[in-house]
Amino acid sequence: MKSFFKGCVAGGLMAAAIPGFAFAQATVKLGQIEAQTGPNAIYGYMSSQGVPIAVDEINKSGGFKVGDTTYKFELIALDTRGDPKEATIQLKKLLEQDKARFVFGPFLSNVFVTIFPYAQQFNGKFLMMGGGTRIHDFVGKPGNDFVIRTWNWDAGPKGFGEKMVDYLIKTAHPKKVAMLFQNDSGGKVLGDIYEPIFKARGIETMTEYFEPGTKDFSPVLAKIGEFHPDYLFPGYSDAALYDIVRQSVEGNYSKKFFLVRGSTGPGLKNKDGLEDYIVYVPKDFEEAEKKEPKVKHFIDAYKAFYKRDFPYDQAPLCSSSCYDHVYMLVAAMQKAGTVEDVGKIRAALLSMTYQGMWKISFDDHAEQVFDFDIVHLKKGGAKEVVHVEP
Amino acid sequence: MTQVVVGQILNGIILGSLYGIIALGVTMTFGITGIVNFALGQFMMIGAYATWYFTDLAMLPFPVAVVLAVVLAAVAGLIADQALFRFTRNNLVNGLLVSIGLISVMESGALLLFTTTPKNMDIVIAGSWSLGAITLPRMKVVAFLLLVAVIGLTWLGLSRAWLGRATRAYAQNPEAAMLMGVPTKLLQTGVVVYSCALAGFGGALYASLFSLEPSLGGLFILKGVEAAILAGVGNLLGALAGGVILGVTESVGSLYLPSAFRDAYGLVFLVAILLFRPAGLFGSQK
Repeated sequence: MKSFFKGCVAGGLMAAAIPGFAFAQATVKLGQIEAQTGPNAIYGYMSSQGVPIAVDEINKSGGFKVGDTTYKFELIALDTRGDPKEATIQLKKLLEQDKARFVFGPFLSNVFVTIFPYAQQFNGKFLMMGGGTRIHDFVGKPGNDFVIRTWNWDAGPKGFGEKMVDYLIKTAHPKKVAMLFQNDSGGKVLGDIYEPIFKARGIETMTEYFEPGTKDFSPVLAKIGEFHPDYLFPGYSDAALYDIVRQSVEGNYSKKFFLVRGSTGPGLKNKDGLEDYIVYVPKDFEEAEKKEPKVKHFIDAYKAFYKRDFPYDQAPLCSSSCYDHVYMLVAAMQKAGTVEDVGKIRAALLSMTYQGMWKISFDDHAEQVFDFDIVHLKKGGAKEVVHVEP
Repeated sequence: MTQVVVGQILNGIILGSLYGIIALGVTMTFGITGIVNFALGQFMMIGAYATWYFTDLAMLPFPVAVVLAVVLAAVAGLIADQALFRFTRNNLVNGLLVSIGLISVMESGALLLFTTTPKNMDIVIAGSWSLGAITLPRMKVVAFLLLVAVIGLTWLGLSRAWLGRATRAYAQNPEAAMLMGVPTKLLQTGVVVYSCALAGFGGALYASLFSLEPSLGGLFILKGVEAAILAGVGNLLGALAGGVILGVTESVGSLYLPSAFRDAYGLVFLVAILLFRPAGLFGSQK
């Protein structure tokens, strides 16, 4: 009894002497590298907003149980500002100093391509869940088990881009489509994806690229105007799309738009001037809020957590490495029975179909497949929403 | 194609006037305080967001919003001057460091307040004027006329009014101006505040044309500095001309060359001019 008492005192002193000792085993570190600021922050913004809400909900409910242990999340969310160099330093910190085994992001292709060689050295030691388009080229390849892509791929039988183009052809029968993308890794890959998709369907294309940060699109739109396209297909963030759509409508260059990146915002803002605006939207939150309890819960949680209005136009981007994915990770850890063996957790993650705000599963290449909406705006703002399950 | 080129020349002139008003602020501040205020782009951002806020959220008429935005940018300029810039007078490096620090602070503040979600102000003047294949949005034309008017009035004020003559005198010979009774401290503060107000005015008109992001000022200050150097630092009307030349070079260059490198065309032109006229197009070559 005496030795038991001594042992308890020694243990208590040790726990008091080493900060966090008593809880070190019950914390799972979750890293995040997204552009929260900067010109392309629009992509990382919603992910960086959604993850803290899920982490907060889980921690406030007492955490999650794996085996006999109850864990809480410690979120380390870092702002890459869209700068690949910054992201590399931040990832190094997360993996080497913080010893995080789970990293959400990046959503930006140029960031992923830069951090990839460093990240690959940690293959098998951590999981990275990012939405970047260029991740498609790396995911599912030998030595790249660490990476999971949390976004629908555009091409292929389940590709949302193929389904978008099919919808465009079915509803509008275009002969010529002009593409206008940002001159960076993400923009270039869009050109590479969609030129063959349109060509395979007999549609003539023209592709132009604009400099990141461009505000006055008149010259490139004038050049495109000479091509007389039936539809203008611009990309890829709202920061550019608001200006492109407005200037195209005002300058009479094109009044019909087809988008696979971006939101309904630019179309609604110019609803009286445009003729057609067909946009891929992972979820039309305004409609979904009325019908889907999980969506309503998220919107309410967002308003309560941030004490500000819900960003309906940006919210669809929460389909990548965001709120649902934190819960998916918890479910995968519980299924795998471990918070450390990333191989087992990865296998559990890839085998599940998760029904959160989206119905999310993964294909054979560790690339996300989820349901989405096609929003079709017409002159005056009349809206038609078509739900697609790939 | 000719009509497309003419259309882009006109577009370049309009866009260039926006560069011109920032260039005017740059050239005035440098002439009187001896610093290049790189944070002028952020004062433009204040003007832009304020105009959006007063117009779209507070539902005030656009002209009232513009006046309030200019006042707000001027007040922000006064605070920045009294808290920071007055300690860096005639010290180019310190002024530069302070202005770069100010950029971070102001941009972070805007991010906190407005997030990265682009803000797109409701259209103030809808529609376009068309002549053949040339189409110019009405708001762009109105913005151009207002910018030219303000730059012209500034030039008139500086060349005719006593305060303007005092400012020019100080720029030419500070000690002589002081001996002649020019209130130099007040003058320096006044010029910093006025250049911030000009940037705010540019921002107010920018908001009526383009979407807003917290980082919007960065691009325009670079263009403003380019335009000021192209014209020759110190030349007020030259600042407008520099902006217009830069705008036209970018617009027309993008028609014939890849649009993806648009910013480079203005820079290449600037380098070419500086090779032959190191003091700029309108600067004294002595």
